[in-house]
Parts: sequence; structure tokens; C-alpha cells
Amino acid sequence: MRYLFVAVLGLLLGAAAAGAAIYYNPLITTRSSAEADVADRALHYSLPSEVLGFALGEQVVPPGTPKHDGALWEETIERTAMLSLVLDDAQDKPTAIASRMLAVSSHTDFLLSGVRVNDYWLLTIPGEGTLFLRAEANVWPFLKETLPVWYLGRPWKGPADYSPTAGPGEHGEAVVVGATGRFVGLEGTAIEKYRLTDLDPAARSAAATGEIAFKLGAPQVAKSE
Amino acid sequence: MKTTFFLAIFLGFVGVLAAGHFVPWGAHVRLPSQTRVIANGGRAEQFLIRLPADRIDVASAKTSGLRAAPGAGTSTLATTEPLLVEHFKVRDAAGNVVGLAARHWSADAHASGTAWSLMIPSRGALLLTAPAEPRAALDTALHTAGYSAGATWNGDVKVAFAPEGTDAAIVAGGSDEFAGLAGKYTETWTITGVTDGGELHGTIEIDTVTRHGI
Repeated sequence: MRYLFVAVLGLLLGAAAAGAAIYYNPLITTRSSAEADVADRALHYSLPSEVLGFALGEQVVPPGTPKHDGALWEETIERTAMLSLVLDDAQDKPTAIASRMLAVSSHTDFLLSGVRVNDYWLLTIPGEGTLFLRAEANVWPFLKETLPVWYLGRPWKGPADYSPTAGPGEHGEAVVVGATGRFVGLEGTAIEKYRLTDLDPAARSAAATGEIAFKLGAPQVAKSE
Repeated sequence: MKTTFFLAIFLGFVGVLAAGHFVPWGAHVRLPSQTRVIANGGRAEQFLIRLPADRIDVASAKTSGLRAAPGAGTSTLATTEPLLVEHFKVRDAAGNVVGLAARHWSADAHASGTAWSLMIPSRGALLLTAPAEPRAALDTALHTAGYSAGATWNGDVKVAFAPEGTDAAIVAGGSDEFAGLAGKYTETWTITGVTDGGELHGTIEIDTVTRHGI
């Protein structure tokens, strides 16, 4: 009996130590080497004020949050989310509308890459055309700082800035493809940054302002598949 | 006793780290892909959307007709350009929900076009593009078939937004399993009913034919 108690205690201590190692693991914070050179246009958004609609998969609804009727409950999409939002230009004039479809990525790894989310944007700028953005975001830095505030009552040290874009581009940037209008045939890169401006533990809600900055040009390398 | 304690600590530590690394935290439920090989090469796959069950929300600028009929999940955009943004759940040919889809339609003078983004979480995403269908094309077809605004209508109207043989309706890109695919698609709306509140009943069929690196 004593051996069992000692073994269980040891296992718990070991697991806690591993949990702490994961929590402070420097390997799973986003390293965005792309930030400096991706910015010939930037669009801004504010959450939740500029969200037109959103739907969350049942498995990604934070525990304790009331479930909505419109939840994505089917097992194939229960770990996804969808939202539409208005984006503004530098003068805060509504300029574009984006649809974002997010799904937990198979690249999620708590030791090496963090909690990865595939983030697909369809972004239309009226009068110009539509862009398709494919990003892989690391949401671990966000989760690591917000979950203890929401669930453990820890004080929030915000506002906090995040640069979640972690791929799939060569330098950790998102990939952009022109879909319609003047963007057809163009390709480029993008990165997203956001600032968490408010966190309400009681309502399990957050407010943020964000920016998607992108750079477009003609494809530089011929495709050979 | 001491050995047991330290061995247990080691096992607990390694076990949690191994779980963090090896457990497929990001895996999604995957259903068998309903694809078929076609005679001249390539593969065909159909995606279905059932209305109104699969409609998630819609946002539109100006009046976009029945597809943006007032109701739950409908937003109005401030822009003056004709623009319609629709979000759906998407099904495979067997009728199982397998992913999500966003459709952006714009018909202004400089940037008209339609773009679909289909995300199948277990497989990746597809980008489909086509010239924009005429404004209120669905409403026009329904009115021709006897529909009157504000009244319940039942019937069977098919409208091909991207008809067969249209070379401009293309599979323009994809990720993961869909990376490197190119091809064509057709988009057909079949409307079997409209409620007095303007809710559409029917299906949207998206038929893709793709090959690697056409």
C-alpha cells in the first residue's frame, strides 16, 4: 500500500513537472521571422465589434461557456470554427470582408510546435477582388495566458500582443493566392498580429484589435508539378 | 521505496511529455472520401450543401435577393458594392457533413467574380473560382417558375451558376491533400421550395474534376 501511494505521488509529481516544462517551453512560442518584410498593405479589425457572425465547433467551446444553437456539432467539424468580420483600412474605414475557417491542425505538438490551428481566409475587398489566405497559427501563447485567467482566477497582465502566424510559408508567414478581380494571378505572403485589449473571466470573453498585413506580387517561381 | 518514488517521477514526467508529442491532438474524424476516378484521368468529387440546414450565416451589401433574405444569421454590409458572403456546412456525396465552406460573390465593374473556399478539416482546403453569376440570378429563375415574394412556393428549379463546359470555373488551389490539384468545377443550385419568409429549400451541388498539376 505504501509503495502504491509513493508510486502515485511520484507519478503526479513527474506529470506536474512535465506540465510546467511544457508551460514554459520556449520551443513552442511563435518565432516570426517574416514580420519585417511583409507589409505593403494592412487591414485592421476589432473583436467582437466587427464580427458579423461566428460558429464554434462543440469541442472548441471553452468549458463553462453556454452552447449556441448554431454550434458545429457534427463529429467531422466539431473542432473547427468559422467567422466573418469586417476589416478597416488605415483610416478606420470599412474596406473588406473576410470569412475565416479555422480547424485544429495536425501539426499540434506540445513539445515542438505548440497548439497549431489552420486558418483559411477568403477576403474580399469590394472594387478590387478576393484573396485566399492560408495560415497556420500558433495559439499556444494566447491559451497559455488566457486560460489561467478564465479558469484559475489569476490576474490578467494585459493588454498583450500576439503574432500567431507560424506558416506555412518558408519564413513562418501565411500564403496568399489571388482569387478574383485584380488579384488573379498574384501570390504573396501575410502575417497577422493582434492585441488582446480586454479579458472578462466571468463571461469567458475577450476583446482584441488585430491586423492582417500582406504583400502581393507576380509568382516568382514557375510551378513544375 | 526511494527507487519506486524516483522511477514514478521519471515515468510521470516522460509520460506527459510523450503524450504532448505523440498524441495526435489535431486529428479530425475522417470519413472515407467519396471520390471516383474518371475515364480520361483525374478524379471527380462532389460536394453537397442542403438548404436551409447547412446555411450558417450570410452577409450582403445592398439587396441580394432571397439568398440574403432577412433572418437568423443575416448581416448587412455597409459597402455600396454588390457583394454577397455566404457560409455553409458542406457534405460529401453520401450526405455526411465533412467540412465548412465560404462563398464570396461580387459583381462590381472592376472586380466581379465568385470564390469558394472549402475546408475539410481532415484533408485540407480547396479554392474554387469562377466568373460571377448575374445579379439575383436565382431570384430571376424562381420568378420565372412562378414564385412571388412573400408567398410559399414549391417546385423544382435548377440554376447552374458555373455550368458544365465552363472553362473559367476552376479549382484554383488547395492545401494538404488538395495541394497541387487543378481542374474545373460546376455549381448547380436546385431549389425545391421557398417559405413565405423567403427561406430557400434545396441543394447546392459542387462537382469538381481535378488532376495533379494540369
